[in-house]
Amino acid sequence: MTATADQFKRAAAVKASDPHHRAVLQKAIGAYDDAVARGKSRFADWQNARSQAAQLKWETVNHLDQYLEQFEHTVLNNGGHVFWAETAEDACRYIADLARHRGVQKVVKSKSMVTEEIYLNAALEEAGVRVVETDLGEFICQIRGETPYHIVTPVMHLTKADIARDFHEKLGAPLTDSAEELTMIARARLRQEFLTADMGVTGANFLIADTGMVALSTNEGNGRLSVSLPRIHVAVAGIEKLLPRFEDLALLWPLLAISGTGQGVTVYNTLLGGPRRDGEPDGPGEFHVVLLDNGRTRLLADAEQRDALHCIRCGACLNICPVYKNVGGHAYGTTYQGPIGSVITPHLRDAEQWSHLPYASSLCGACTDVCPVRVDLHHHLLHNRRNAVQQRFDQPAQRWAFSAWLWAMQSEKRYALAGWLARLAMRLGWADPFARAWTQGRELPVTPRESFREWWKNKGRDGPPGRPQPDHSARPAVAPYQHHK
Amino acid sequence: MNPARSNILGRVRAALRTEAHRPPVPSASPLWPPIGDLETRFREEFAALRGELLSDTQALRHFLTGFPAIATDGNELARSVVGDGNSIVRSADLGVTGCDCLVAQTGSIFVTTRSAGGRALSVLPAAHLVVARRDQLVPDLEAAFALMRKRYDRHWPSLLCLISGPSRTADIEKILVMGAHGPKRLAVYWAG
Repeated sequence: MTATADQFKRAAAVKASDPHHRAVLQKAIGAYDDAVARGKSRFADWQNARSQAAQLKWETVNHLDQYLEQFEHTVLNNGGHVFWAETAEDACRYIADLARHRGVQKVVKSKSMVTEEIYLNAALEEAGVRVVETDLGEFICQIRGETPYHIVTPVMHLTKADIARDFHEKLGAPLTDSAEELTMIARARLRQEFLTADMGVTGANFLIADTGMVALSTNEGNGRLSVSLPRIHVAVAGIEKLLPRFEDLALLWPLLAISGTGQGVTVYNTLLGGPRRDGEPDGPGEFHVVLLDNGRTRLLADAEQRDALHCIRCGACLNICPVYKNVGGHAYGTTYQGPIGSVITPHLRDAEQWSHLPYASSLCGACTDVCPVRVDLHHHLLHNRRNAVQQRFDQPAQRWAFSAWLWAMQSEKRYALAGWLARLAMRLGWADPFARAWTQGRELPVTPRESFREWWKNKGRDGPPGRPQPDHSARPAVAPYQHHK
Repeated sequence: MNPARSNILGRVRAALRTEAHRPPVPSASPLWPPIGDLETRFREEFAALRGELLSDTQALRHFLTGFPAIATDGNELARSVVGDGNSIVRSADLGVTGCDCLVAQTGSIFVTTRSAGGRALSVLPAAHLVVARRDQLVPDLEAAFALMRKRYDRHWPSLLCLISGPSRTADIEKILVMGAHGPKRLAVYWAG
């Protein structure tokens, strides 16, 4: 087993049996679910809105070369700079060099997952630049020294009390149990950072090819402040973020907001189209867009999973995922968590190191159902499992077990024999070592003495045809699932 | 010259030689239900976002008493209610601006660096007052984008922003708090 897989199993086991963690998550996701149901009803037909968005992203991603060139052309015309980065290191080096050459001492950052992906903060700090995260959730992550727990809601796993303790210990703020007071503590502190920063770094929710603009959505206004006060603006974006036309946002802005938080639209939907123009009173003198590949062209080359590049990072697949809801965001050990993370991480990073992720799924398909751009997520999880087996990344024991399963399933007699052996093994306790992951937090059900087919032959035929009546007295007791107290 | 550009575009073109499965064609039915009366819809949506609609001069005067330091963008409509203001942006309690249009469907206000006095005025002060006319109302986002395209195509301002309510956050336990970084209060005054 790889070290990353081992880490995932350990972290997942801890979180899955932590009732406090579960309660915090259930509350947050419950509030999200209610808001999203209201948000979807704003559309005349939510399913058709998804189809239109899927079509639009398909069109873009499948003509990506043309839209990339058009975007570059329009940004240059607007007086901006475009840097093409093949890797995370290339992107970080460009931004760190720019900061050094321009005498930048402080960077304010608006929330951006792509800068998490490339570890930009570490690279800038190494270059002697102070980096301040300004999204409230990201700010809390930064003072805790943690990575975001969720791509949209970075501190979904924390309570007011956790955050109050951090603010007290790390910032010297008085303890409080008010979310409003905590927010105002951060506001006052970060206001000073905005006023004195030299460079603003943002991600991009969309890149608009025909007008050369970076679209940025924030509720707090930190995105706007990051690009209003500092003298340089750097936007980092994956190459898949493109949309052909300015007008496409009339669909994508509501779609992203409704799937992300349930809001009709995000509070500040901003379009950045270059440095300050003549006649404008303020704004940065320089505007740079970093277009990042970092494995995206590998995913593009996999036509079967190319639609994973349609993703607009709304977080809906995380919030619906029964695995995410049990193990939480940090267990994955990746920048992008949940179903979308398990689909793209083996492509963007090392396929073998992350080959365990597609198994962190019940294949229930809920992620595919909620995806606003119709990424075929659960089938891609299966595709990644298949790819891992074809590349022999699976374990020998796993291969042996599936061979045995296949052998048993191919004949009625072997199937019956396997069932009998399994029941015997479970009754005698031989199966316990294999079931440890389950039995650590729960009890196994009591094993019935006879198979279903034996039971059917002896008793079931007395019931109505085709529909056996439950007859508990005739069966050995099967204990309901019980959690250990 | 950085070879990354041609490397990335080369990989993109090579990848796209294999066709990907196309999603089914969506239906042509309208995406949104009808908007109804623009002013009514805007009022409802804006109120739900916790925006404050000032419908007469009394409400305007009452709103303005809360803000000793006022900065404005010199926009004609804004000047008609607060004159030249008495503060620079960085020390203002209230920014007063015009806008490009108001969107009934979402209760939003579309501003640009040109219609709202640059970038900071509508986001840095603790409150933002938009002075607008009712004929600036458009039904939906599609109409708003069409209007912006017509007004600015090929001469775009460096920043456009669709503002939908005061600044907010729900990062802590999903509890709604107004005024995370931007204005805690957002008001619209009808000047016609």
